[in-house]
Amino acid sequence: MSLDPETLSPPAPAGTAPRKARRRLSWHLVLGLILVLVVAGAVLVSYVWLPFAPDDTSGGRLTPPGGDHLLGTDKLGRDLFTQLLIGGRIALGTALGAVAVGGVLGVSAGLLAGFATRWLDDAAAVVLDILIAFPTLLLAMLIVAGAGASLGTAILAIGLAMAAIVARLTRVLVKQVLARDYITAARVAGVSWPRIVAAHVLPNIAPVLLVNLALQAGLAVLAEASLSYLGLGTPPPNASWGRMLFEAQATVLTAPAAALAPGIALVVLVIGMNLTADGLRDLTDPRRRR
Amino acid sequence: MRKTLVAAAALSLTLALAACGGGGSDGTAKAGDAATIQIGSMYEPQNLDNTAGGGQGVTEALNGNVYEGLFKLTDDGKVEPLLAQDQKVSDDGLTYTFTLRPDVEFHSGKTLTSKDVKASIEAVTAESSKSARKSSLPEIRSIETPDDATVVVRLATRSISFVYNLSYIWVFNGDATDRTTKADGTGPYKLGDWKRGSTLTLTRNDAYWGTKAKNAGVVFHYFTDATALNNALLTNAVDVVTSEQSPDALSQFEGNNAYKVNNGQSTTKLLLAFNDKVAPFNDVTVRQAISAAIDDKKLLTSIWGEYGTTIGSMVPPSDPWYEDLTSVNAYDPEKAKQLLGGKTLTFTLDTPSYDPHPTAATFIKSELAKVGVTVNINTITADEWYTKVYQKHDFQATMQEHVNDRDVVWYGDPDFYWGYDNKQVTGWIDQAEQAKTADEQTALLKQANRKIAEDAASDWLYLYPQIVVASTKLSGYPVNGLNSQFYAYGITKS
Amino acid sequence: MIAYLLRRTAILLGSLVLAAVVLFVLLRLLPGDPANALLGVGATPEQIEAARRELGTDAPLATQFLRWLADVATLDLGKSLVSSLPVGPEIVARLPVTVPLTLSAFVVAVLVAVPVGVLAATRADRWYGPVLNAIAQLGIAVPAFWVGLLLITVFALRLRVLPAGGFPPDGWGDFGAAAQSLVLPVVTVALVMSASLIRYVRSATLDVLGSDFLRTARALGASPAQALWRHGLRNAAVPVLAVLAMELATTFLGAVVVESVFALPGLGGLLTRGISQHDYPVVQGVMLVSTATVLVVGFLGDLAQRLADPRLRVRP
Repeated sequence: MSLDPETLSPPAPAGTAPRKARRRLSWHLVLGLILVLVVAGAVLVSYVWLPFAPDDTSGGRLTPPGGDHLLGTDKLGRDLFTQLLIGGRIALGTALGAVAVGGVLGVSAGLLAGFATRWLDDAAAVVLDILIAFPTLLLAMLIVAGAGASLGTAILAIGLAMAAIVARLTRVLVKQVLARDYITAARVAGVSWPRIVAAHVLPNIAPVLLVNLALQAGLAVLAEASLSYLGLGTPPPNASWGRMLFEAQATVLTAPAAALAPGIALVVLVIGMNLTADGLRDLTDPRRRR
Repeated sequence: MRKTLVAAAALSLTLALAACGGGGSDGTAKAGDAATIQIGSMYEPQNLDNTAGGGQGVTEALNGNVYEGLFKLTDDGKVEPLLAQDQKVSDDGLTYTFTLRPDVEFHSGKTLTSKDVKASIEAVTAESSKSARKSSLPEIRSIETPDDATVVVRLATRSISFVYNLSYIWVFNGDATDRTTKADGTGPYKLGDWKRGSTLTLTRNDAYWGTKAKNAGVVFHYFTDATALNNALLTNAVDVVTSEQSPDALSQFEGNNAYKVNNGQSTTKLLLAFNDKVAPFNDVTVRQAISAAIDDKKLLTSIWGEYGTTIGSMVPPSDPWYEDLTSVNAYDPEKAKQLLGGKTLTFTLDTPSYDPHPTAATFIKSELAKVGVTVNINTITADEWYTKVYQKHDFQATMQEHVNDRDVVWYGDPDFYWGYDNKQVTGWIDQAEQAKTADEQTALLKQANRKIAEDAASDWLYLYPQIVVASTKLSGYPVNGLNSQFYAYGITKS
Repeated sequence: MIAYLLRRTAILLGSLVLAAVVLFVLLRLLPGDPANALLGVGATPEQIEAARRELGTDAPLATQFLRWLADVATLDLGKSLVSSLPVGPEIVARLPVTVPLTLSAFVVAVLVAVPVGVLAATRADRWYGPVLNAIAQLGIAVPAFWVGLLLITVFALRLRVLPAGGFPPDGWGDFGAAAQSLVLPVVTVALVMSASLIRYVRSATLDVLGSDFLRTARALGASPAQALWRHGLRNAAVPVLAVLAMELATTFLGAVVVESVFALPGLGGLLTRGISQHDYPVVQGVMLVSTATVLVVGFLGDLAQRLADPRLRVRP
């Protein structure tokens, strides 16, 4: 899991004029939200209506697309479109769950480290660096190794790995805000720390965090798909898109739809999340606000 | 900036060229006895010692190829003498005297003697041995070596399967120290290079005592993923796949003149194993009802398509005591409902997390729902299965593949994980092992198997197919893969 | 600079030890008795006890940890529970696949990403600027294993120009075959890696393009390309260098997954198999080696960044 490039770049000096090359309409946000909402809408619909029951095997083994089965059936005779919709639940659930775990843990840890004394902060920085040195997927694989493959384990593992990244970002952001003159002024004026956090720190760091979490959501979806592909995520027979792709590769020449549809769904959702993140950044970054 | 664009274009061109340069490695392939056969398999050995947990892969690669036993099990299931030239059995059936074939040399050049045979048998029966064959051997009183060519084995009890079991015991050089990464046998191939995680090479032993291998050597290519294995066959990276584990990819070989799909004999059964000692499965009518409620044929078709067979018992057709028992507790949901007598039933099915178990479990769940039985699927790892189910017997029902041949005798052991305890059956199985003739043994085991099937001790869902897919350029390969052996010495490539 | 070097080295060493602790604790807290994995079906309680003694898992955790650290210090990573063969040589045997795969994919990704990223930033007003950007967007949203699957289908199964997977028995002794079997995996990893790199490069270039010194250079009469080349790249390189080190680690991770798609006998395959077999000395060994690599690469990346940017030579 990688960091967001644009939150990493050094903060612009005050007074830099918005540049022509960077002036973008927020079509990123619009398109991103549309893509995410398409997936979310399909998932919501899946709770009310499904073309077939999830474990209805009446479709016959590997029926080609068309007719009753929009995308055909899998080797058990289950409708692939139905599986795709159910897979959407897992993808969105992973995104929400992992962001909740990673966001809450990461922001709390980052705030604590940001406010800590230099010595403690150094220690926190080192620990975070080490945690980040375990790439998400390796960390998740390690946890899955013992706790057994399940969706819950995968979400928790991805969330924990995300927490380290979010914590590191939060820490840096807090440091930047605390270094500003108005914070010093507020301190001198006798404003309490909790009030400073609530009035100055959180509102200042929230936009960047939000952007980052939107990006992390997309990465979480990819991580879950990879885990499931490796057989370390959602166990069969539940339909995760990664798992569906694993199963489909055996019949890629004879039933290409099964190998394409879950991949396209994954890309749509992740691009949607990334574009939303870009759009949010355009909205919230004062350097680009027009 | 135009330069960078050019550079990027040049780079992609280079990649494309590199891509086009590929695929030409077949140009050097040789035919006839100079050919090297490329074999694709899912079963890489863990190590090369079958008494130290080498796994089924070590049998596939080395049995009969690098190592040989006193006897050999042919591909059609017959036991023939190999390193033993002659055998005598005492009248009480307790003393076996084997005469070794003369002038057999190990690959290291050492001559085979009775001491090597003694060491080889003792390695299997040793306390530290992890051999799967250990438990099927009778208690051995002593092994004597009166001279270099004679081995005398004294048993504590009669054992009609003793010679058969000896076909699984490899004779290795008794002086060899490391058998986990090296192999010094008497077979038609010498062990070449073993690149772990990838390939194992065998080269022809030109000093072999018998008929020499018909090819220059074989390379086993190991895969952990069936699709990658099939792709290797499709792209001619391998010539033959020892055992297809899924029917998904078979359609691409069936319609293709370049490949032959062989449907051979298998001994692997998929079991829905009940814990016969705990509720609700301590009740024989519940077991019968569950067996009758599941349409085995439909399950088999949904997993294997046109391949595989239902057998209705633990005994596969390659065992001498096979009979078709599919009519016992056959699929009949009405009868199942009747047997259950309107009771609602819920049980937990401990399902190993790897294919085909989760798929089969889902199917079983939907079948049983139709007769009012609720199944909770509990997915467990292979390790958990071993601890929870196999060791602690802490389960209601589970699923497992049983790969061995002649393994119906395990129903004679009341302490086995499924807890089937029928004194009559145990008695028959014991008598069968003590039998004086093969016919007597067969009759007793048939009788026992019928009883086990009627009691629905487990539900034998189906017998796996054994599918060997090979290039049509290949001939002389084994198709049955009994006990996962794969004799490679007869294979020729045109 | 020397003070910084010392401090950073101390942090690196501390990190390595801490990483070892984290790894050890994580693996030992996990349920499951390794002795089970060691013994086959039919083991008696006495055999299990003996196995635990042999493994040393009957000792207190602290003792086990110290023993393990001492072993690691002497480069002994223990024995696999499943094969009972030593882990260290097995890891070394896997490197000829994973290292070339990671490094070539990384180099290809950088060679593609740097020009494309710069173009996407400097030519935002031409038609191909946004197109390149859109391609990069697509690239970071695509799972690597799916790219691999599609490449295999097209290049190996349909066009038959490249092997679908595996590695030749002679390894690099058969150079042509070995190189061929790495082409598709390298392209797969590089495609996915370059997509995210393009975004970093583009963003760094945009920052530099808007900076005062570049505008000054332009004002002094340099052409845009000259200005960017003389003054811009070095500045753009600073954030990119930090990211490169991290990306190298991510490339390695990508290789782990992609190895399993292409059935390559590398570290990834070893790790996945170790996990599925609960072979914890193997998992521990592979994780330790990879974490240490990531930490050392991060260290080198930080040093490189210091050298490239004089502003950062003072502690922020």
